[in-house]
Amino acid sequence: MSDTALIIEDDEDLANIFAEALRGVGFEVEHVADGKKAEERLKSGAVPYLVLLDMHLPHIAGADILTNIIKQDERFAKMTVIITTADARMGEAYVDQVDFVLIKPISFVQLRDLTARLKPKDQS
Amino acid sequence: MKAYINQILDVPTSDPDDARRRRLLNIMLFGVLLAVMLGLIAIVLDSIRSQRSSSESEMQLLLGGTVAVTLGIFGIYQVNRRFSGRWAALSFLLLLTTIFVFTDSAEDLANGRSLFLFTLPITIASLILAPQASFLFAAISSAIVAWLGMSVGLSINVFVVSGFFVLALVSWLSARSLEAALQDLRAINANLDRVVAERTQALAESLDRERIEAGRNQAILNSIADGVIVFDRSWTAILANPAVKGMLEIPLELIVSKNFRDLIEHPRLNPGSRSLLYAMIEHDTQPIGFRIEWGGKTLSVSAAQVYNNKGEYIGNVTVFRDFTREAEVEKLKSKFVAIVSHELRTPLNAILGYSEMFKEAVYGPINEKQFNMADRIMKNTQRLLGLINDLLDQAQMEAGKMTIQMRPVKPAELLDSLHSVMDKIIQDKGVQLTSEIDDNVPEILNGDAARLQQILVNLVNNAVKFTDQGSVRVRLFFVSEDTWGMEVSDTGHGIPEAELPFIFETFHQVDSAATRVHGGFGLGLSIVKQLVNLMNGTIKVQSKMNEGSTFIINLPLVVPEEIVENWRNA
Repeated sequence: MSDTALIIEDDEDLANIFAEALRGVGFEVEHVADGKKAEERLKSGAVPYLVLLDMHLPHIAGADILTNIIKQDERFAKMTVIITTADARMGEAYVDQVDFVLIKPISFVQLRDLTARLKPKDQS
Repeated sequence: MKAYINQILDVPTSDPDDARRRRLLNIMLFGVLLAVMLGLIAIVLDSIRSQRSSSESEMQLLLGGTVAVTLGIFGIYQVNRRFSGRWAALSFLLLLTTIFVFTDSAEDLANGRSLFLFTLPITIASLILAPQASFLFAAISSAIVAWLGMSVGLSINVFVVSGFFVLALVSWLSARSLEAALQDLRAINANLDRVVAERTQALAESLDRERIEAGRNQAILNSIADGVIVFDRSWTAILANPAVKGMLEIPLELIVSKNFRDLIEHPRLNPGSRSLLYAMIEHDTQPIGFRIEWGGKTLSVSAAQVYNNKGEYIGNVTVFRDFTREAEVEKLKSKFVAIVSHELRTPLNAILGYSEMFKEAVYGPINEKQFNMADRIMKNTQRLLGLINDLLDQAQMEAGKMTIQMRPVKPAELLDSLHSVMDKIIQDKGVQLTSEIDDNVPEILNGDAARLQQILVNLVNNAVKFTDQGSVRVRLFFVSEDTWGMEVSDTGHGIPEAELPFIFETFHQVDSAATRVHGGFGLGLSIVKQLVNLMNGTIKVQSKMNEGSTFIINLPLVVPEEIVENWRNA
């Protein structure tokens, strides 16, 4: 199984921090900064092991990517989905559809420790 | 005719007894005049029929007598009308007695068929002169009868005289009681008149007062800027002020005396607002306030039932206030707060993340001073984030957007995550945090974990802030089958008694010097209170200066169906 983590986040600094956290526990990190690019990446490239999806994205909202792409394609059935949002109520609304909901602000240590537990067993 | 007769009979006097006597006298005068005329005609007819030629002197006497009596009656009438009832009555009675003396032979008058004639003046005297006057005429009649008797050689008839006096006594008694009865009647009437007059006066005054009051109320209604419509029990508008016209942009004629149900069918009212107004009409039990959209306006509506002074429900009064501007400002404000909070939180998240990475030595080893500096950056960033979260929560609550999401919650987990958030802060402060759960608190209950958590964190944070040594104690407790509670107590500074009523107010800070040391917007407790209210719970605080404070929250206890049985059995 791939050990790629896809970060879909429009804020460069946050993406950078998330990437360091994920790299720190051994993921191959890919980053896309808007909804449209995320859609293209998910549809064309290999299925990542984990996706960190921001709900507030330019062009196509994170919620739409979740409902219209990830939930529609069998290929993503086993992919670990973590959504990130600053809106706690929005997070609550999706808590049953994804593996984890992280409410911003998201701590570097918290993300690192969480993803360390989620890593494929053969890789850790 | 009747009026004409009344005019003839009337006498100018204000004394009702006198008036009655004089009117009676007038009637009698006319009666006697009529009798004299009829008598004269009868005698003339009789003499013609019997072919008996009366002597000329007899006829002259008869005519003279008739003329004299007629003149006498007219004179008495004039005296009675213009001068004095007493003198007229006396003259009439004397005239009557005199006439009687000439109506028959002396024998018959004194002791025979015409004796009864003398009873008439005795009886009449009591009615038209005075009750006791009957005795006077009994005496006069007795004297006449005696004189007439003696003139024909008869002795005084004692029976006749005593009969006269007995009759006088009876007349006196009945006339007196008649007068007394009339007097009573007049008193009753006068009293009745007085009562009627008083009532009329009072009614007129109260009508006046009502008119003044109504005028004043109308003036008040007309001058206030809020739109007011008063409805009767069936929601038909009975009154509306000019402000309503401007607010709803409908002429008053289309509001007053129309049913409210028809008015709210107006196309300018948006459907959501229409159903709110329908709900208000159908369930008009409580005074309520809400907002509606009418045309381009936002109106705040408050309605209250009206009761009269007997406590009977008589209708409703509904007040409309133009809230358009405030609503816009409010919308802008919450939008502003939401944007600002979001825009502030994103860079803060970056600061937090980078300082964590620095502290975690992601890019290589750091020395102790650098580590401490990174730690300070993190702590301050977290504090700033906390403040922004409070502001955002407050803005959400003000906008009515804060909702409570009920899900099964494990009380034990609430305390676990409380410890994970607070333990470090507690340690740094050098105090202790202890927590416990009462045995009979159910293992799982329905609640909003995030908000319950927020309440506990806010209360503990607050307690730690004002506690320099000792401990902060958290206890979850069971009250009854439908109530549970959370209690946070500390051994800190305590809250001055004067401040207790205000500590839950927004932006309230106890003792500004202490706040300068401890920081915060003063939103923490206000948010706690509002969250507890949203959960239909209650919060109270007990505090003693320098001994500590205890916050006690009671919340509705709802246990998820599937574990109710286990919990009861346990």
